[in-house]
Amino acid sequence: MTVDNQDSGSPAMRFEILKALKDGAAARVGRLAFAGRLPIDTPNFIAITSRGAVPHITPDNAEKHLKTTGAYMALEDFIERPQQYLKRTPPIYQASTTPKHPTRLHSFTATPPSVTTILSARRLPAVPAPMGNTTNAVSVFTSTGFQSLTTTEYHSAVEALRPDIAIPLADLTHTTTTPNSKRALRMAERTDEWTVEWFSALSNSNVSTFAPVLPIPYSIQWEYISRLAEDYLPTGQLAGLALYDADVLPDLESHSPSLLPLPRLAFTNPPTPHHILRQISLGIDLFTLPFLNQISDAGLALSFTFPAPPDSKDMPGPQPLAIDLSHPTHATSLLPLSPTTTNCACYACTSHHRAYIHHLLHAREMLGWTLLQIHNHAVISSFFAGVRATIAEGGADALEQATKRFATVYEADFPEGMAERPRARGYQFKSVGGGEGKRNKPAWGKLGGNEDGNGEGKTEERGGEEEDGIVKAVEEMAVEEKEGR
Amino acid sequence: MWATARRMASHRTFTSPALKFELVAQCSVRMTCTTRARASILTLPHGIVNLPIFMPVATQASLKGLTPEQLEATNCRLCLNNTYHLGLKPGQEVLDAIGGAHKLQGWNHNILTDSGGFQMVSLLKLANVTEEGVRFLSPHDGSPMLLTPEHSISLQNSIGSDIMMQLDDVIVTTCPDKVRMREAMERSVRWLDRCIAAHKKPESQNLFCIIQGGLDLDMRRECVRQMLARDTPGIAIGGLSGGEAKDDFCKVVAACTELLPDLKPRYVMGIGYPEDLVVSVALGADMFDCVWPTRTARFGNAITKHGVLNMKREIYATDFGPIEDGCGCPCCRPVDQEGAMGVTRAFVHHNAAKETVAAHLLTLHNVWYQLDLMRRAREAIIQDRFPAFVKEFFANLYPDSSKYPSWAVDALRGVGIDLLET
Repeated sequence: MTVDNQDSGSPAMRFEILKALKDGAAARVGRLAFAGRLPIDTPNFIAITSRGAVPHITPDNAEKHLKTTGAYMALEDFIERPQQYLKRTPPIYQASTTPKHPTRLHSFTATPPSVTTILSARRLPAVPAPMGNTTNAVSVFTSTGFQSLTTTEYHSAVEALRPDIAIPLADLTHTTTTPNSKRALRMAERTDEWTVEWFSALSNSNVSTFAPVLPIPYSIQWEYISRLAEDYLPTGQLAGLALYDADVLPDLESHSPSLLPLPRLAFTNPPTPHHILRQISLGIDLFTLPFLNQISDAGLALSFTFPAPPDSKDMPGPQPLAIDLSHPTHATSLLPLSPTTTNCACYACTSHHRAYIHHLLHAREMLGWTLLQIHNHAVISSFFAGVRATIAEGGADALEQATKRFATVYEADFPEGMAERPRARGYQFKSVGGGEGKRNKPAWGKLGGNEDGNGEGKTEERGGEEEDGIVKAVEEMAVEEKEGR
Repeated sequence: MWATARRMASHRTFTSPALKFELVAQCSVRMTCTTRARASILTLPHGIVNLPIFMPVATQASLKGLTPEQLEATNCRLCLNNTYHLGLKPGQEVLDAIGGAHKLQGWNHNILTDSGGFQMVSLLKLANVTEEGVRFLSPHDGSPMLLTPEHSISLQNSIGSDIMMQLDDVIVTTCPDKVRMREAMERSVRWLDRCIAAHKKPESQNLFCIIQGGLDLDMRRECVRQMLARDTPGIAIGGLSGGEAKDDFCKVVAACTELLPDLKPRYVMGIGYPEDLVVSVALGADMFDCVWPTRTARFGNAITKHGVLNMKREIYATDFGPIEDGCGCPCCRPVDQEGAMGVTRAFVHHNAAKETVAAHLLTLHNVWYQLDLMRRAREAIIQDRFPAFVKEFFANLYPDSSKYPSWAVDALRGVGIDLLET
């Protein structure tokens, strides 16, 4: 099925399917373009921001070095209510726009105008809310705590911020467990109601709506999905689908084929590139990849390519998906971050080497995470370019072969990553039952005298341990001194 | 223009194996300006540096979150690394294996390293100084270790810094013990001799001496004479910014610069507040370093010509102006200019103390501010309007002239600038 000049609803958006491997839910290459933004060749991914910034990446670095042209933003990152200013209007609604920053969302976050913005209510991944959603509001988690976000508030936020893609509210649990059928039914009903409300409220034609498809069986949400297909697709109000589970796609193919030409954005949280490949074969066009930011924080440099490199005798056995740069073997390595076979051309690989990143991770210098983010986003970007080329030049068999080979050449999971992580913030994590323990060792001890965070030890030590060393040593000396007198 | 050209033609130059110092302009030789401020060009193994200069501190071979590319874009051509920190991480063996700190951090411009002595005293409570060196407990395993002048130089040779500092005996300037102070001063001179003897690469690395002597001006003068006799390519004034009164600080700097030769760079160690920089330039100093601009950035503070602004304050939540109006840094410059980000105070407020990006943006801004301040001071010296520059600087910082700090007023009066004159 080749659909040229597909007009998928919003006048501001254009989605062309350049090649589809078969009719319906299957891998395809396309191009998603929004007025004023750089077009996105699909399959592809968009960067996930935290509080409007890709973690560790300043806007200048994002523009120069981050090989992605989309940014996912969560409204909950912008609407906190500080204790002393409970009544304040979230500042982002008052931001002014300029030719360089054409929307409030771009302007407030200093996002370059070439970047396509996607606005949704919750962060990716979202922290589950203890009190759940109500009939007209979802629970969101801001930097000042949980609060509820009503459907009307969300509508006016979208009108004010004018993202290129907006995801209407969906009644989601944000847990890994599958909801029981009663809860699932309520999810479908509420999302259905909210979507009706959404389309009647939204007047801005510059915002393209990607309607949520819930992570529940098609049989429970069929009513909602057929409403999308029958009521909002013909009017052009529905521009795309936001899937929380890629496995709903085969059902869409059989029951609502009219929705198939729409671009498909995934909030499926694939844990590895193997999962990405599977979801591409199911027909996902655009991914959000929460693992990327986590991998960089863990001190890991992605090291895979697609298609996988040809067999060589030097590399027996399955190859790792990522290299743990905190490992002592990299202390003096002047190699680029990922193996030379990957030919990574990112700023981190061309200007720096493993020994530097190793040192930065060891010294807990923030630049380490910046360079890893640049590298990891570049590797994923090349991965998707490889997938597109395989589909465009090869077709279904080539993609299947290359995917199979990828699965045998590379390990199934990412390595653990022994480096210490950046400091965690409250809006990123929520204690579930308490007693999880701290992720990082304490930076300061009792009798420090090391206010610069300088309790460091020798190179072969893992970060953190030596800090106990100095405190202990100083304490011992203090005791000796006292006794001496 | 012609006057400038004539002055340029008559540069006086000092050359040593790894350094060239050209004096471009000097206030004190002109009738209109009596301060000791100087503008000069310092050529180091990794390129040209215009003086006066502020040198940002990349303690552990990284300027707190900025890529070397971003640092380069602030026009920084000389930054600091700390010998103590690099000696611990990544360690001398790794530095030797990689081929020095330039290669480690991908920085092709100049690096200055301290001797490690200051950290011994400031970070390690139980350091003990003997004639042999500084004894301290290893932060690694608590075992006793010794930092000698020879070891410090050996480490700095491994780092490969363009400017190395001698190991000195640092004690707080406010120390009342005259005998200990004299001992420290004389020991620093003896240690300089040991450093010079241990220095293996004088053709590619410069070793600067450090003048000690606490707040005792006579002791400082004596130290200057003894250090000058050793003829190092540059001279540092050390031991300051340790909690002494600003008046005393200025007196020490003035007493030292009075005796120093015109044709060598003068480095006042560890100062970074904008007022201190401007006054020290007027007193004849050329080079400065401090962690304050980058550290305060991480606390959410922006340095501006009207003072330090704490971006975490609620008033900035809806302030959609640049961090500082008229600033040329990549955060603040008008959005239609090349490389402009269009960062607002509101965005910095939004992420201050929450995302590392806000710290990076303020670091970028603060480093730019400090470098630009020195660049503008240099221009003013060359164009023979330095006193006007100093007056404008203080007028911007203190709208009410009665609030001018008296130490600055006094110090500047001593070199012919009357801040209070209208």
